[in-house]
Amino acid sequence: MGERTNDQWLADLRGPNPDQALADLYELLVRGLGAGLGSYGGGAGASAGDFAQEALIRITANLDSFRGESRFTTWAQKIAMNVALTELKRRRWRDVSLQELSARRETANREPADTQPSPEQQALQSTVLRELRRLVDEELTERQREAVVAVLLEGMPISEVARRMGTNQNALYKLLHDARRKLKRRMEDAGISSREVLAAFDEG
Amino acid sequence: MEVGEKTMMLKRGDVAKLARVVAETREDEIGCDECFARLDRFAEAELSGSEARSLMPLVGDHLDKCPDCRGTFEALLAALRGT
Repeated sequence: MGERTNDQWLADLRGPNPDQALADLYELLVRGLGAGLGSYGGGAGASAGDFAQEALIRITANLDSFRGESRFTTWAQKIAMNVALTELKRRRWRDVSLQELSARRETANREPADTQPSPEQQALQSTVLRELRRLVDEELTERQREAVVAVLLEGMPISEVARRMGTNQNALYKLLHDARRKLKRRMEDAGISSREVLAAFDEG
Repeated sequence: MEVGEKTMMLKRGDVAKLARVVAETREDEIGCDECFARLDRFAEAELSGSEARSLMPLVGDHLDKCPDCRGTFEALLAALRGT
């Protein structure tokens, strides 16, 4: 496959005979997906062809949004990776509902392994614990609390929580950012600085 | 109001996690869409050895905070290295 410049890629894909460029791009995407998803499991490799096909549709429909700030092939691979990971996360989390996630919390024992904090650290931890509990209950909206639990505490992908909450990844990140900012400001209002918070939970 | 039922029951381990992400929160974070729009350039900078994070600090910060975007970034790097 001859190396194309960005302009050649765009011209070929937009031209009257895009078949060769499409075939070359497809082959590159499949190889990239194989290399990029190597560690992912869950049938990722077997689906590389499907992901590449889906990505090609997305890429050719969005050529105008390529800003030329990278190689065209890097931009294309970025889109392919996004298509693949969105689907792989969906498959991996398919059977988990947000309700289940919070129900599981009620019973799980989440005390961390004891690292024997110093007495000062313990006192500070108790203050932060009490204050954060109060702020989470009083200052966050129901949706913010739901997102905080699923994403920040349970480690569910943002894209998957967004799907369940009827929104998209970008909007859910912003919702979480608003929640984090609010908590941070209120902690500071309560006289607890970020530095102190980090020191309280620093495991050395 | 059913205060009791709305309570999230934060346990000590949760608070440590939450306290950390709250402490690291900044006002000027970018969202996933903006990060994604700049991710190809960021990945190339990273691969060429130039300081991607000092060139695009907000993208670097977002990748630290967003596991979804970090996953895409790491997979993209591996793909670029392997093709």
